[in-house]
Amino acid sequence: MDTAVITDTFDSWTDSALDWVSDNGEWLFSFLRTVLEGTYDGVLWLLHLAPSYVIGLIAALLGWRLINAASGILAGLSLIFCEVMGLWAETMSTLAMVITATILALLVGLPLGIAAGFIRSLDRILEPVLDLIQTLPPYIYLLPAIALLGYGPATALAATVIIAMPPAIRLTSLGIRMTPREFIELGQASGLTPWQMFIKIRLPFAVPSMMAGINQSLMMAFGMVVIAGIVGSGGLGQTIYESLRTLDIATSINAAIAIVILTMVLDRLTQSAAHRTEGGAE
Amino acid sequence: MNASNIDTNEVLVDCQSVWKVFGANAPEAMKAVVERSLTKKQVLQDYKCVVAVSDASFQLRRGEIFCVMGLSGSGKSTLIRLLNRLIEPSIGKIIVKGKDIAKLNPAELRKMRARNMGMVFQSVALLPHRTVLENAAFGLEVQGISKGERNRTALAALEKVGLADWVERYPSDLSGGMQQRVGLARALAADPEIILMDEPFSALDPLIRRQQQDEFRRLTKSLGKSSVFITHDLDEAIRLGDRIAIMKDGVIVQIGTAEDIVAKPADDYVADFVAGISRIHLVKARSVMRPVDDFKRSQPQCDVNALPQTSPDADIGELIDVTMQSDGNALAVVEDGVVVGVVTVRGLLRGVAGMPAEELVAA
Repeated sequence: MDTAVITDTFDSWTDSALDWVSDNGEWLFSFLRTVLEGTYDGVLWLLHLAPSYVIGLIAALLGWRLINAASGILAGLSLIFCEVMGLWAETMSTLAMVITATILALLVGLPLGIAAGFIRSLDRILEPVLDLIQTLPPYIYLLPAIALLGYGPATALAATVIIAMPPAIRLTSLGIRMTPREFIELGQASGLTPWQMFIKIRLPFAVPSMMAGINQSLMMAFGMVVIAGIVGSGGLGQTIYESLRTLDIATSINAAIAIVILTMVLDRLTQSAAHRTEGGAE
Repeated sequence: MNASNIDTNEVLVDCQSVWKVFGANAPEAMKAVVERSLTKKQVLQDYKCVVAVSDASFQLRRGEIFCVMGLSGSGKSTLIRLLNRLIEPSIGKIIVKGKDIAKLNPAELRKMRARNMGMVFQSVALLPHRTVLENAAFGLEVQGISKGERNRTALAALEKVGLADWVERYPSDLSGGMQQRVGLARALAADPEIILMDEPFSALDPLIRRQQQDEFRRLTKSLGKSSVFITHDLDEAIRLGDRIAIMKDGVIVQIGTAEDIVAKPADDYVADFVAGISRIHLVKARSVMRPVDDFKRSQPQCDVNALPQTSPDADIGELIDVTMQSDGNALAVVEDGVVVGVVTVRGLLRGVAGMPAEELVAA
């Protein structure tokens, strides 16, 4: 009985805290919603400018330049396949959401990671926070996000940004800290200013690790954007969620295929882009 | 061999009783060393601190290659990093071109490192994402020199080390020896008076290493540079160094020319080290000759002025050649037209075998 009291008290604290935040932070959250939805709408608008075959062609060209001709053709055709399945609009919504979430996550994550790479104490504070973010079940972020941002893409985006940020922060900070000692010495012995040391020595050595972080952020975003179908993200996530509720197995599988295609294409493209940054000598 | 207009007495780097103690309690340990003259072992036991460099003093003069030879852990890498303040000394003064480098502010220190002291590393440390030319131009680039000018200067430096055809390649395309030449070109491009060489050739195979040593000595001398050269290889020190400092446990145990060190080792440690070194090209006539009077007493019938002649600076190899070409067993050492001593076959054998000095010259 005692424990029930404690639990109830704790729950009511949590609820009232959330209420207080939503009452007093109204201006902040409506601002956030505007920014998130505005960015998302902008990216989506851009993607809708081009018809499906143009997007497919762009993917094919990128695949050809970054990997090889076969991969390029495969990337282009598989995107066109999403159109064939009648899921083009949903695919583009999901792509827009993933791109938006990843960009926002990087805008925060990269500078924070760089700062953590230099400032040991900041890194020690961030470490447990990032552990917490990555171990909590992703659904946990959705409810409070709904309470604060309402049903719709903004909530899905906020949750996705939070999930996508940790790898970018971790791998950026790691990259900055991993500068080989002899190159630090070279920089010092050559009379570099601290800024030159960052731009000319530390950053180039950190880029491969940062690119790996960007790729992982993208993958995390893909994972979350499907789950976020529950809160009205739109796109393939929502298609899957709704077809699960109506037991429309065919549609859910089509949408799942579209997700896989999109994920694979973006993963390979960013990975090979990352690979190219590891020394120009290859 | 020296460029003619160099004042070889000018002191470029003056290292005065420099100590470096590493560890959390370094200041206390340093104080204890000064006040109670603790040994290295006591410092490690009582203060958990390591004495890396202990009371090191030496001078680098203009135009000279000064080798610091020691085994790993002897403090030689620490010593060279004290010279450009990559490591701060615990106590002691380092004067570079008349300025106490401990008193330089960060901007002055950067300028000193960029303009006066180039450094070449054992690990080479070429930036992998830059071409050979961009690597060679690195020091100039950070000084804010325009792209056209720095590329011209870097190309000239690469020409000096024989890599002008490789400018557009990346470091990974080059062999270890070539990479190290880019490292040297990078140091030379900024045209510093002093080049700090931190075991640059240690990782190369023996044949390439010898080529690089000869090339480095030739370049340094022809450009009139001065260098502190760190090595764990006594052969390398002898081949390169105008003077050599031998380091052991953070202490410089002897400073001298190769001949000094081989012929008159300061202690058993140095003697052990030089035991295996060939003296043929190190020991000079001056060190193995007998005084003329002494020679005349033992061989009164021999006319000193009729002997084949040689100079005091001829090494044992040359003396052997001259002896073999003549019928006799003795050579006259002539300086300024006067016979100053006689080298006998016995003396040559003593010189080759590294017999104690007092038996060589009785003067």
